[in-house]
Amino acid sequence: MALESLDRSPPPFFRVGFAPLTKLIFFSALSLLLVFGDKQLQFTKPLRAGLSTLILPMQWLVLQPGEALSAMGTYFQNLEQAQTNLKAAELKVLQQSVRSQQVEQLQIENQNLRQLMGLQSSMAVTSQTAEVLFDVPDPYNQRIVIDRGQLKNVALGSPVIDAGGVVGQVTRVYPLTSEVTLLTDKDQSIPVLNSRTGARNITSGDFLAGQPMIELKFVPASADVKEGDLLTTSGIDGVYPAGLQVARISHIERRVDISFARIHASPLAELKGRHVLVLQPSAASALNKGKAP
Amino acid sequence: MIMSRREALLLPVSPWFIALSLLMSLLLSMLLGLSQALWLPDILAVSIFFWGIHQPRRVGMATAFILGLWMDVQHSALLGQHALSYVVLSYFAFSMHRRLLWFPIKEQMLQILPFFILAEVIGLLIRLSTGDDFPGWTMLLSPFIETLLWPVANLILLAPQRRASDPDANRPI
Repeated sequence: MALESLDRSPPPFFRVGFAPLTKLIFFSALSLLLVFGDKQLQFTKPLRAGLSTLILPMQWLVLQPGEALSAMGTYFQNLEQAQTNLKAAELKVLQQSVRSQQVEQLQIENQNLRQLMGLQSSMAVTSQTAEVLFDVPDPYNQRIVIDRGQLKNVALGSPVIDAGGVVGQVTRVYPLTSEVTLLTDKDQSIPVLNSRTGARNITSGDFLAGQPMIELKFVPASADVKEGDLLTTSGIDGVYPAGLQVARISHIERRVDISFARIHASPLAELKGRHVLVLQPSAASALNKGKAP
Repeated sequence: MIMSRREALLLPVSPWFIALSLLMSLLLSMLLGLSQALWLPDILAVSIFFWGIHQPRRVGMATAFILGLWMDVQHSALLGQHALSYVVLSYFAFSMHRRLLWFPIKEQMLQILPFFILAEVIGLLIRLSTGDDFPGWTMLLSPFIETLLWPVANLILLAPQRRASDPDANRPI
């Protein structure tokens, strides 16, 4: 004898699957779990890496109109413009060649001095160029996506620079691409050295009048800081090699009621340029490990 | 009276056209997102809501969830942020799909505006609660633009279902 006495399932015509409210609760709970996991527990990393590789063809397709437009723009750029650019570039190369010759000499001198003093010699930094694919569309943070990833040995935490100075740091690595958080992002900090006074500070990204800037944190109101001071990386974090240009101080606000000065600096890097240089994190190359500290 | 409006009977929908339209709006949304302008509308949200109203059996919350995850990865936002707002949008589309289409298009727009605002606010609340800053007031424009796109969606997405109107003596409609 069958256990069920009556067939209680609805006839096929009325079968509509789960109730909408059940589906809403299920999918909302799943989304919130993902949000929480992404923010706090970091267990969504493989999921994100997989999905980002999956959507790569579509991403490539979406980038094509912009590429075509810029290619057309370059094509129609007139000869005069090209010649001016060339002249400027040549002038820059000339200026830099003087400096680079000095650098050669200074490096030898420095090495000799270091040997004399018995100091550890500074490491040569390995680097690779990468092309900026697009700015991350998320309006809440400032990141760019570059076309080098895990397969090209981009390590998590690698510093990224361009012709002007430090751009930021690699914060997410996917198989074929990686994400760079700009130094003007709210959560991005760099230890810097004021090259005029030698004072060490820490910066974080901040907006000043709608302009992305970096802010110097915890500087006493009486500290010796002037507008136009050059900030370079101090190298004590083991990530950024020492001596890279970061920013120039542009706004100083000293108030009596706060014991810290509000100091803003404008970054020297182009930030939204076309090509960047990805460096190996200095601590990682020193330890010969692929991991960021 | 409701029946006094002249309304053409629609042909059955092709599932391939639904898939194609969702794919195209996904691409458009990805493209518009690249410009980083906050006020630009989320075309994909309009499409999901539209098919949720017109074809609730075919485009439901599962589709909305998967497309939302896709947008999260593309935007590099928190995973689940767009997914949640699309799922909520799709739920409300389902809950009002029997009622909405009886109204003229202007009143339809008035009724769907709150849901687009809600979808935008859900995304905003998730980001604010995880410690991000408010990105700017222009983002509140986008639900209004999405609502203005509703007649456009009606025109484009129902186009393959409309039949050519050639009334004659034997066929009054």
